[in-house]
Amino acid sequence: MKSPTNQSVLPVGKEYWKSLDSLAETPGFRDWVSREFPEGASMLDGVQRRSFVKLMAASFGLAGLGMSGCRRPEHVILPYGKSPEELIPGVPAYYATAQPSGRGFQPLIIESHQGRPTKVEGNPSYLPYGGSTDIYAQASVLDLYDPDRAMGSFKRQSLKNGVNRWQKVSTSTVLDDLTQNYTDGKVAILAPRSHSLVRNSLKDKLASKGFKWFEHDAVDPSLAESKLGDILGVDFGLRAIPKLNSAKRVLSLDCDFLGNRESNELANTRSFMGGRKVLKPSDAKKMNRLYIVESDLSRTGGVADHRLRLEASHISAFAALVAAEILSKSKSSFPNSSSINHLKRLDSGLEKHQKWASEVAADLLTNPKQSVVLAGSHLPKEVQLLAYSMNRALGAIGSTIDYIRTETSAESISSFVDQVEKGNIERLIILGGNPVYQTKGFINWDELSKKLKSICRLGSSIDESSQIAEFHIGQSHYLESWDLGKTWDNTAIVPVQPLLAPLFDTVSESTVLSQLLGDDSDDYSQVKALHKSLSSGTKFEDFLRLGIHPVVPTFAGDVDPTSSLLAIKGKNLIHPSFSSSNLEVLVIPDFHAHDGQYANNGWMQECPDPISKLTWDNALLISPVMAKHLEAKYPDLGLLPKATMLNKNGEIAPDAALFEGGKQKAPVVSLQLGDRSILAPLYVQPGLADFTLVASVGLGRTHTGRVGQGSGYDATPLLSKPGSLVLTGASIEPTGQFKILANVQEHWSMEGRAIVREANADEYAADPSFAAHMGAESHSPPMWGKDQGKSLAEKATSTPRGNSAYEHPDHTYEKSDVFGIHQWGMTIDLNQCTGCSACVVACQSENNIPVVGKDQVLRGREMHWIRLDRYFSSTEREGADIPSDVQVSFQGIACMHCETAPCESVCPVNATVHDEEGLNAMAYNRCVGTRYCANNCPYKVRRFNFFDWNKRDTDSLYQGPLGDKNDTLVDMGKNPDVTVRMRGVMEKCTYCVQRIQESKIRTKVNAQRSAKLSSGEDGAGIKLETKDLKVPDGTIKTACQQVCPSDAIVFGDISDPESEVSKLKNNPRDYSVLGYLNTRPRTTFLAKVRNPNPRMPDFTSSPHSAREYSDRAHPAHHGDDHGTH
Amino acid sequence: MRNIFPRWSNTVPVKLIIGLGLIGGAVVAGITYYATPKYTRVGYQPTQPVSYNHEFHAGELGLDCRYCHSGVDKSSHANIPGANVCMSCHQNIKADSPLLEPVRLSYYGEDADKDGKLSEGEDLNGDGILNAGPAIPWVRIHKAPDYVYFNHAIHVNRGISCVECHGRVDQMVEVHHDKHLSMAFCLDCHRNPEKALRPLDEVTNLSWEVSTGEDVDPLIAQVHAGLELKDNWGVHPPLSCTGCHR
Repeated sequence: MKSPTNQSVLPVGKEYWKSLDSLAETPGFRDWVSREFPEGASMLDGVQRRSFVKLMAASFGLAGLGMSGCRRPEHVILPYGKSPEELIPGVPAYYATAQPSGRGFQPLIIESHQGRPTKVEGNPSYLPYGGSTDIYAQASVLDLYDPDRAMGSFKRQSLKNGVNRWQKVSTSTVLDDLTQNYTDGKVAILAPRSHSLVRNSLKDKLASKGFKWFEHDAVDPSLAESKLGDILGVDFGLRAIPKLNSAKRVLSLDCDFLGNRESNELANTRSFMGGRKVLKPSDAKKMNRLYIVESDLSRTGGVADHRLRLEASHISAFAALVAAEILSKSKSSFPNSSSINHLKRLDSGLEKHQKWASEVAADLLTNPKQSVVLAGSHLPKEVQLLAYSMNRALGAIGSTIDYIRTETSAESISSFVDQVEKGNIERLIILGGNPVYQTKGFINWDELSKKLKSICRLGSSIDESSQIAEFHIGQSHYLESWDLGKTWDNTAIVPVQPLLAPLFDTVSESTVLSQLLGDDSDDYSQVKALHKSLSSGTKFEDFLRLGIHPVVPTFAGDVDPTSSLLAIKGKNLIHPSFSSSNLEVLVIPDFHAHDGQYANNGWMQECPDPISKLTWDNALLISPVMAKHLEAKYPDLGLLPKATMLNKNGEIAPDAALFEGGKQKAPVVSLQLGDRSILAPLYVQPGLADFTLVASVGLGRTHTGRVGQGSGYDATPLLSKPGSLVLTGASIEPTGQFKILANVQEHWSMEGRAIVREANADEYAADPSFAAHMGAESHSPPMWGKDQGKSLAEKATSTPRGNSAYEHPDHTYEKSDVFGIHQWGMTIDLNQCTGCSACVVACQSENNIPVVGKDQVLRGREMHWIRLDRYFSSTEREGADIPSDVQVSFQGIACMHCETAPCESVCPVNATVHDEEGLNAMAYNRCVGTRYCANNCPYKVRRFNFFDWNKRDTDSLYQGPLGDKNDTLVDMGKNPDVTVRMRGVMEKCTYCVQRIQESKIRTKVNAQRSAKLSSGEDGAGIKLETKDLKVPDGTIKTACQQVCPSDAIVFGDISDPESEVSKLKNNPRDYSVLGYLNTRPRTTFLAKVRNPNPRMPDFTSSPHSAREYSDRAHPAHHGDDHGTH
Repeated sequence: MRNIFPRWSNTVPVKLIIGLGLIGGAVVAGITYYATPKYTRVGYQPTQPVSYNHEFHAGELGLDCRYCHSGVDKSSHANIPGANVCMSCHQNIKADSPLLEPVRLSYYGEDADKDGKLSEGEDLNGDGILNAGPAIPWVRIHKAPDYVYFNHAIHVNRGISCVECHGRVDQMVEVHHDKHLSMAFCLDCHRNPEKALRPLDEVTNLSWEVSTGEDVDPLIAQVHAGLELKDNWGVHPPLSCTGCHR
């Protein structure tokens, strides 16, 4: 790989690039990809060879001393005194419950092994989510076993040096204290927003007793509904619920409806991506189309067919531009000419986007009632109104979008501060959430707490908000509590039922509230009573079993927006002009921590951000244009990759500026916003609006557990009032310091080949098998020999795995031990993937995949079995310049279970071998850790246990057996059906072999039992056919498949031509990654189809990536002077 | 020049080779005998907290294995019964036997007056529930390593008897480890299941043997009967790693 990469021939650079460095072909990157594991991955750090040998000698000596290790350890089996009903040891139980959050209750099914919840799945009875879950629900089970939880209640003792010490007290005494002291009428309760009905009923009772209730969230998607209600002049909120399965054209105004910035991500993903399923050429015409105008590059922007980068402050004006077009051309009777003229008069100053806007408007109008406009919840109320008006004019309301009526009763945190100042509030109960962290930008809590007599805190861990409280009450996890609440779209009421009694001395929110009311009834009876009041007609037990009670939401009804439209003042839409010294800051919830509540969750911290691919940190994202400005001003910043330099010996000198030993050095800047400032590391993100900075809240927490401590920077000081997330007038200045960021984006790059294949819908309609004409295998197909023309099922069941030229015995299942009854395979539809990364965490949860920590991620040792590769592609570029307009492609890569697997042939101990059903098996107990297999894997999917991740503290990994052991609490969440791997063994995706085996066993047992029962004899005469023993298609779902909201992943038996996976593999869009290597992967991909509008100014006849590929594959067509390859 | 090495040293290399060979052979033989499951596992017979007599209950009384080990045909584990299973008989039979004290302790727990209801003063830990007592700490005899996922249900339901792995438990007063249960033991049967397959009704009948004519070798008769069952039921035991290692 070190062959001279002559830069003079490279400026064409038409190829995939995954990060700025690989784009620029810097030597650091070249060096990186030439090694199997990134640099440092296989080095013993800080241990001298000599001392290592000494240590080993000593440990061998010690081992010989005690023969006690040879004794058989005695295990005891502890059966129940009285066995609970329906509990069979070894058979997991499943319970329906829900995860409460500010974004609605998420219906779930929890897998529980002998009372220990281990895995979260979606409840398929709730149809909008179709059994999928989001990434946070997947990770939430880890919070239950977080050793840094508040394991009880505590009394704060302030030490002299300002440090707080926490003395454990029993929760019941704190609750008694509450009933005595917090009932004098001047008590306020501050909580995050919730959709709980239990809370609502208690809230009403509390209000009648004089308790004041305030709510606050740093990032609150429900702000949009109150903004819209407010500007429409009605006394209720209007919550937009898009119904995207009937939408053909979608315009998103900075609305991340497929991501974590808005609610209902799962329903939106499911319905929207469902409209992008193309299985036959005729589907291409039915495909939906997404236009997005956004400042950040969100996951939604990654899916979009047309994307316009625009600062968030300009979006109001842009919305007016589109609205004027739509309202004036709409055939609907609603907009009157005065409102149209009014909108046209609002000088927007966005003339350069006029063409874009009018073409979008025209396209939306050609599909009336099938198009919809969505507005981001952080945008001002004018945008909400304009979006509402456009939807009304398009006839979208009722067909592609519903507005449901919501009540907004709670007061905001600002009025709480006012009332404290006025002396109306003397005592405060902080009920969950973390307001001190989130609001320190506009509330001085130290001052405020002095004006209060006492503060009591209910929280799941001792965090920033606990530091001002007298008492901290430990809050039970939702898997330990009872509750009842509504889903975001208000179509279902779902129960939260506990999977186990609280592990520690903790209580739920409703217990605390009932205590304040002097109510002794427990949470269970409250939930039961509330269910009774629903008068649903179902028994409570049945409700708990199903986990869903469907209800009809209250629709907002038709509200005429005309007068509100006329009231929009032009000055509200005029946008500031930005420059490199006058920047806009967009504050978003962090991918890892959301609003901060997942900051101590190792799975979330280590899951790479889908777009930036950062782990364990957040960064201040800046656009390439802004980066250039900065580089011009501060040439030593090292923000952009430099062109390659040659040293004196003519060797390629590594560019140390950006990557140092594979670690990304990010310059730390000071962000100034008026009198506020924060320090943050910079990260150049293509796709951003030129002068937008994207900051995220949720990290940089000062009081969190061992996992979240020291991760990221804190952007909350920038927030100056509740709900204001777009800030203007910022400037940045380097501090001269650098921060090392753990970025996984350059790990395991596949350079310049047709990895993700894409076409436009028109191209696909004309040539459905376009994917087969790309890549090296288009002229060097995998060698199937004389079986080349056979069907997939035949190839999978009869072609010998060495593909010899000789005649072969019959290898069909009945006549051979070599082929099993099923042949497993998987397809991943690249057209369905939004990059939500829920599969990564689902896999981690299902397969006991350890968390390795930032230090080890920096060495390239992360353990995820499935990774989500994110590729950028762009229009024509100049040399190493970083483009601003990019198309995004995601590709989930896990072990491909190659039929002729390169890893298997190099294993010296047969630890990785093929099984009869086509799985590439990994026998951990055989592995000796040579890592040859990882070296030989072209897909780079094998992961090596460099340390005892599961056993040792991440801080003391290098101390080996002398290091501290992990807290065993985490072990309770491990899946007992999967081996917990030890140090020194290789691992990788198994296609969830534990689920496969369980299903096979269940099928066989059921077949045998039912045959025996029907025969009535001793079973000797039973005759079972092959079909009786086959697992029916769709029974087995891998963890990644089950969690996927858009059903991008399909798993099944490819020897059955009727299975879904077989049908998909016979689709012409199907292709193998690196198929020309003749690895014959069992996981194949369905090529991506984009659906751009030919009339748009940014239309290209092929996706950027396809054009980049063809430029490289057919250089002659390019008309360039870079000669022959 | 004088010889540096004395004459006897000529034989040293030969002696060394022979000696090392003998030592090596002894080590190999020793490990083969003493360090394999055949030696380390077979015969393991720990003392149990309750001297439950399998010979009496399973042999003499003829209790079916599944009466106590009720999960064996449903789950991967064959469960050890809870104290309530013992008490279903021993509430009436030998209700006061001192040998059963740990069982009664486990079963009644907080229920001091043994009426099954929460009476005054019984709720010792104040949780409002009548809690069972401490579990009986049965000592585990058969244990597959953590990386082996043996499933009882599939074996029992597909005609593999308990006796194949656990021996004649109905003849053991106190249960001991009877078979060595090494990987070779598993594979022997997975390669040739016909040696062990039997009609489903006879799975828990530990003394069952295939009925033969007088001059037929019972082993051959079993293989013939087994092959028929294998063919009828489509028995193809997994032979690759994924069958047991996950």
